[in-house]
Amino acid sequence: MKLWAWLLVPALAAVAGTLPVPLGLDAYMPVPEANPLTREKVALGRRLFFDKRLSSDGTVSCGTCHEPERAFADARPVAVGIGGQIGTRRVPRLVNRGYGRAFFWDGRAASLEQQVVQPLANPKEMGDSAAAAARRVGVAEDALRDALASYVRTILSGDSRFDRFMAGDAAALNDAERLGMRLFTGKAGCSTCHLGPNFTDEKFHNTGAGRGTDPGRAAVTGRAEDRGAFKTPSLREAARTPPYMHDGSLATLEEVIDFYDKGGKANPQLDPEIRPLHLTAEEKAALAAFLRALDGKVREAWAN
Amino acid sequence: MLAAAAAWGAGSNGPHAWWSGPQVTLLGSPSRDGRRLSFADPATGALGVRNLASGSWQAVAERPAGSREFAYFSVFSPDSRKIAYAWFNSQGFYDLRVTAAEAGAQPAVLYRNEEAGFVQPCAWTPDGKFVLTLLFRRDNISQIALVPAGGGAPRVLRSLNWVYPKKMDVSPDGRWIVYDNFAAEGKPERTIFLLSTDGSEERRLVDMPGNYLFPLWAPDGKGVFFAGDNGGPEEFWCVRVEQGRAQGPPRRVSGALGRFLPLGITDAGILFYGVRTGSPDVYLAPLDNLTSGVQPISTRFPGRNGAPAWSPDGRRLAYLSRRGTENFGQDARVIVVLDLSSGQEQEVPAAMAHLERLAWSPDGASLLVSGSDGKGRGGLFLVHMPDGATRLAAAEHDAPFRGYEAAWAADGKRFYYLHGGEELRSHRLADGAETTLLRAQVMEHLAISPAGDLLAVGIGGNAIRLTPLISGNTARLLPFPGLTELAWGRELYAGRGAELWAVPLDGTAPRRLGMPPDRQPGISIRSDGRTIALTAGREQSEVRSIELPRP
Ligand code: HEC
Ligand code: HEC
Repeated sequence: MKLWAWLLVPALAAVAGTLPVPLGLDAYMPVPEANPLTREKVALGRRLFFDKRLSSDGTVSCGTCHEPERAFADARPVAVGIGGQIGTRRVPRLVNRGYGRAFFWDGRAASLEQQVVQPLANPKEMGDSAAAAARRVGVAEDALRDALASYVRTILSGDSRFDRFMAGDAAALNDAERLGMRLFTGKAGCSTCHLGPNFTDEKFHNTGAGRGTDPGRAAVTGRAEDRGAFKTPSLREAARTPPYMHDGSLATLEEVIDFYDKGGKANPQLDPEIRPLHLTAEEKAALAAFLRALDGKVREAWAN
Repeated sequence: MLAAAAAWGAGSNGPHAWWSGPQVTLLGSPSRDGRRLSFADPATGALGVRNLASGSWQAVAERPAGSREFAYFSVFSPDSRKIAYAWFNSQGFYDLRVTAAEAGAQPAVLYRNEEAGFVQPCAWTPDGKFVLTLLFRRDNISQIALVPAGGGAPRVLRSLNWVYPKKMDVSPDGRWIVYDNFAAEGKPERTIFLLSTDGSEERRLVDMPGNYLFPLWAPDGKGVFFAGDNGGPEEFWCVRVEQGRAQGPPRRVSGALGRFLPLGITDAGILFYGVRTGSPDVYLAPLDNLTSGVQPISTRFPGRNGAPAWSPDGRRLAYLSRRGTENFGQDARVIVVLDLSSGQEQEVPAAMAHLERLAWSPDGASLLVSGSDGKGRGGLFLVHMPDGATRLAAAEHDAPFRGYEAAWAADGKRFYYLHGGEELRSHRLADGAETTLLRAQVMEHLAISPAGDLLAVGIGGNAIRLTPLISGNTARLLPFPGLTELAWGRELYAGRGAELWAVPLDGTAPRRLGMPPDRQPGISIRSDGRTIALTAGREQSEVRSIELPRP
């Protein structure tokens, strides 16, 4: 037995009690063996997610930035944390992150368990340590971590008109949306990165988006060629949650499509898949219409 | 008459040959009682059912007259009464359909969606309620799905990026799906996984070095059989399974079965499988004296080669060679360059998913390759020699996966190609600028004169148009019914199936050359005009069976 075989195959276990998964998502969701999904943990995680005591000054909860009615993002270009401190990156939507393989815009966390404790300790977000936060809400640090990660796993978006179309309802998309879908996987080449049920390859690409000051993935890998590369975000619920990109620098879907149509922004690390698309006005409108058909229903916990 | 009667014996029955000949396709499965085999009839496109003992067959789903529809993968239901199958429909993609396994039945469409336009039904759940199907989506994702046999939305269990299992099967207790997938990202080796049918669990079942694929459940549910290839001949393996977990290490249950493809296991433990018997290869022959003989090239992998292309200096021959285990449909091919003076072979690692045809650049520094990449783009790619660095030359989404036919201009600064069969284009390498030289209905096959002043283009399958590349000259049309191929050396050569003809440019009668009767498309003329490289030998398959031991 070669060692690599063990290292590369993560231990996986059941989505215990079969968490209902909306139309369009895989029934199988990978869950670490060490943190099986249980109703109790999810319920605790849900309570903690909205508990402001997790922040050092009691003003901010996870839900302050990740608002449930905005697919767990907010409406700002960049995050605002305790004491009104302004961060440098946009709050991402948290839907379908249970299927994710890299977390944060630069992928610096490899699992939700690693991820959820970082905002607690970020001086610009919740401003303390995971240990101190756990003490304030009266649970063990491990339990806090496992519960938050479990809850985030249950935040799912599916059952969009696109999903109904894929399930066989040919009338679920109109002509413009179908043209947009064709462009998305065809001429516009969006699906070379935004692919699969979750519209992401979970990898890092430089599109040239943003102000160019954020090193992106390079801060994690230390490699120059990763400068300005960010994780491909899911596009589910994106249409209704502007602004866009890692620093919120594009205000509307139309701006995003224009940005891609021009071939992104030239820079030495630009991904070779980003190139001028020569889309007509009708095609741009169709692409936007298709992206709007990815808005579905967001559900969390076992609640609804 | 049903399976219950059949008992699983001791596994002592050796290989038995059931079916050979040109009608054999390996896209179907045996019925559980081992009496019948579903298949796709290549001549009529029909879904056929063959009675294995008598050798008679009947069509159970036929295409309407005049249509180009056809049947593809198929699998019998557990009670052997129905067949789920893929059907290439009139809109140009595949439906998942189901029909009663008898002539005259009315088929029903279970799933039809252009966005998941290729489907492969692999197995039924034991209760007959779902068809375990692979859906191939346009975004290059393949999905393991349970499609309700009575209609309704597919239940997608698992989406896989860029890869697809070669085979999947459902356990007799209905709880587990077994499938093959890459053992690790970026590695070519596959191994065997279990996925619970409710989607709640996934596990790796086989954990040993090597390449393992084509898993099938033992009919008693106590183990999984699968094929393995460790660089040597392909073998059949078995691992005992209890409660979804491997019991002990896998063991080999058969010696080399040849290049084989498992089709299914009957209730009596008989494995039906297909083997390739024909062996196409690349041959060389002197054009001045064809009677003196056609000689195969010497290669490390005989019997799986084609699409030869001479280098401009006539010292090297590039060709495509099939690699890896037997596969349905699309084969994994590699580019091999044979140095004829030293006899050395070199594999060129092009970053492409499917390779169809090769053409050397006039400076011998790269190959223009038609085919497609792993991102769903078809067309023409430039592959640098010898490192295989690959870049898009004229490739796009929605283009055919076999790519385009192309010919280099003599100066190597541009190439000409047939785009979509209706447009002859010129492509300048420096900046990618393209111009349209000719538009016509159904253009196929392209060759350029050695001097680079004339293009020969096949028109409508029955004529060759000589298109001058120097202004002032006029085009000419040479009739040639049944045209299947063009090449240009000292003369213009045209293929008609296995036949090869020299076609005089002055319109006088073509002259037939002596060629092997099983010649396949794929010729190249050496730059001195004297030696032809050609492909001959037919891919043929045979259906055999062997009794398996119990797990
Ligand atoms: C001050 C606003 C703010 C607060 C409070 C906050 N987050 Fe975030 N969250 C962000 C921002 C900004 C990012 C992206 C940061 C980055 O990529 O560097 C992020 C990223 C994430 C991600 C990664 C998503 C992905 O797709 O990569 C998860 C999961 C997450 N947060 C969960 C939480 C949880 C759980 C809490 C509470 C413990 C929390 N967040 C509190 C702003 C916030
Ligand atoms: C080379 C990979 C790649 C391709 C191709 C690509 N994207 Fe993206 N997409 C990304 C990455 C990476 C980001 C995040 C960039 C950033 O934040 O700096 C992104 C961000 C987005 C966003 C913003 C989402 C958000 O939540 O901020 C939208 C919308 C989007 N892409 C749509 C498209 C469309 C439409 C196309 C086709 C025209 C496309 N993408 C092609 C990689 C790609």
